[in-house]
Amino acid sequence: MIRRIFLLPFVVLAFASSLEAQQDTTRLPTGVRLGMIYQTLQRPVLAVRPFTAEDGLEWAAEEVGAIVRRDLDYSDRFEIFETPPQLATGPVDYDAWNGLGVVYVVTGAVEALEDGILLRLTLHDVVYGNVRQQQAFAIPPTDSPAFRMAVHAASDEVVRWVTGQPGMAASRIVFRRQNADGSTDLMVVDSDGENVRRLTRSEELIYSPTWSPDGRRIAYTAQHPDGTWDLLELEVESGQVRKLTARPGTTLTPAYSPDGRRIAFGLWTGRSTDLYEYDLETRRLRVLREGPGEDMSPSYSPDGRQIAFMSDRIGQPHIYVMPTDGGEATLISPYTYGEPGYYTSPEWSPESSLVAFHGRSRGQFQIMVADAARPGSTVQQLTSGGVSQDPSWAPDGRHLVFVGVREGGAGLYVIDAASGRTRPLVLDSRVRLPDWSPALLRASALMVSGR
Amino acid sequence: MQKRIILPMLVGAVFLGACGGKQAPQVEPPVAATPGDDEEARRRAEEERRRREEEERRRREEEERRRAEAEAARAREILAEMVFFDFDRYDIRMDAEATLRAKTGVLRANPDVRVRIEGHADERGSDEYNLALGMRRANAVRDFLVGFGLDASRFDVVSRGEEQPLDPRSNEEAWARNRRAEFHVISGQVLRVQ
Repeated sequence: MIRRIFLLPFVVLAFASSLEAQQDTTRLPTGVRLGMIYQTLQRPVLAVRPFTAEDGLEWAAEEVGAIVRRDLDYSDRFEIFETPPQLATGPVDYDAWNGLGVVYVVTGAVEALEDGILLRLTLHDVVYGNVRQQQAFAIPPTDSPAFRMAVHAASDEVVRWVTGQPGMAASRIVFRRQNADGSTDLMVVDSDGENVRRLTRSEELIYSPTWSPDGRRIAYTAQHPDGTWDLLELEVESGQVRKLTARPGTTLTPAYSPDGRRIAFGLWTGRSTDLYEYDLETRRLRVLREGPGEDMSPSYSPDGRQIAFMSDRIGQPHIYVMPTDGGEATLISPYTYGEPGYYTSPEWSPESSLVAFHGRSRGQFQIMVADAARPGSTVQQLTSGGVSQDPSWAPDGRHLVFVGVREGGAGLYVIDAASGRTRPLVLDSRVRLPDWSPALLRASALMVSGR
Repeated sequence: MQKRIILPMLVGAVFLGACGGKQAPQVEPPVAATPGDDEEARRRAEEERRRREEEERRRREEEERRRAEAEAARAREILAEMVFFDFDRYDIRMDAEATLRAKTGVLRANPDVRVRIEGHADERGSDEYNLALGMRRANAVRDFLVGFGLDASRFDVVSRGEEQPLDPRSNEEAWARNRRAEFHVISGQVLRVQ
């Protein structure tokens, strides 16, 4: 009898709440526009010729060529053109390529080195009919764990030759995967989706991994089975983990300052989550922002002077920026009185004043980008269809990794914010919270002169 | 080998004798009859009486134990009953108030019991924001209980975010079940309802 009495209000409330939670699914939130962040420019057509090799290195040449070709494709700066058989060998026939509408041709040659291979890359400018750039790179042997990353760095250099900005191939994405038994581990994958490996074997629930600016460390938080929390730092190469703070309370969303000396994070202090900054050298903790409401997900601007973060102080979660030294917070996510808003997980671009986050639009979460330098300007919604959450910028400030549910499956996806082109990175419904590393290797470290 | 065969026979003979009734056939009893037979019978009757008393006592104890067990089970059930929340909300709903009020009685009747309140969120939204939401829900529940005069130190509050859904599906019904607070006894014995 008692059951029946309480069941009715329960059902009514549940029904009312589901109505309340329902957003108008036919239109975008006010202040949001569907589209990409740059004008979509026509991409120059580029061909990668099959790489040539010394005797016995044909297989290596094929493998290196395949990596470079895919990296240039994934850079989303070019229209990749399949090399016709008659142009695959011999001197580069600029007139023939020009007739096909190709603007750039990349050729590669592989030679043996004492401890690896020498990769000589040449960028041909078909329009001008000349060699635009040429460089030799010392690459570790193909069976070395450092091999693929070195080839990626060479690819990034080719992107720089054309655009002035290096690509993002020589980078990795760290993320969290839930195991079948409910435990979680940190995993890492190369930018091209290869080389997935596990970094931790832990009993705790892991959250919010984030790369240090030098790419050597990953900070994250962990909840122990008894409910207590730690802020931890993993040294990627050795696998060693150290505890950073022993302050009790739910510890969330760490982010390194651009100089790598401080970590900002959210800490539950009894009534709400506040923003703190931990100094890795002095081991001191200071308050960045406190007060009512949940403040979390801090992310430093490239110059370290500002922080983007999430706060629900006005009753809905929104994205703000504020000076690192304290001061007024400025709203940058779209807010309209009376409209439901839900914007979380901001990350500041490593290259610009753009802040990516996810927000509820037409009833689903989508990736959005706001310009912190122009608060109140229109927010661009990059994704539509499916669900897209937890964006993180690539080191080129142009690509984003996010957690997506698409027709192709659930997992990590990469989107080019300029063209909207999207590709799956890791298809696995148990993966969350990706963070894209900085550039892990620059081609300058591999360059061989006088060859 | 012989002993094992004889023993049941002996018991059988005693049983037959006790039944009385017809004259036993002319079989020499295995144990010789002695003048101590009467005394032996009294001793046995006394033993039987004690045994019955003991049985009765055990039966009563067992009954009491069952009753206490049932009460403890009921108390644990009241204490463990979950409460649910609306989307992106952490205020205590009307239906949850009744559930929580029942818990205050159990907690008063079992003063050494400490409870961990776990806040949970549905899968929508950011993982980390949902942790904060779970924390707020757990806190709202604790505040409600403390408002009834219970000591705040009897509660640990923990958020599990969206990690442990009751219902793994992605629909309104599942989400409504997953937005909840759970109650786990961390120390002390839950014995009484009132």
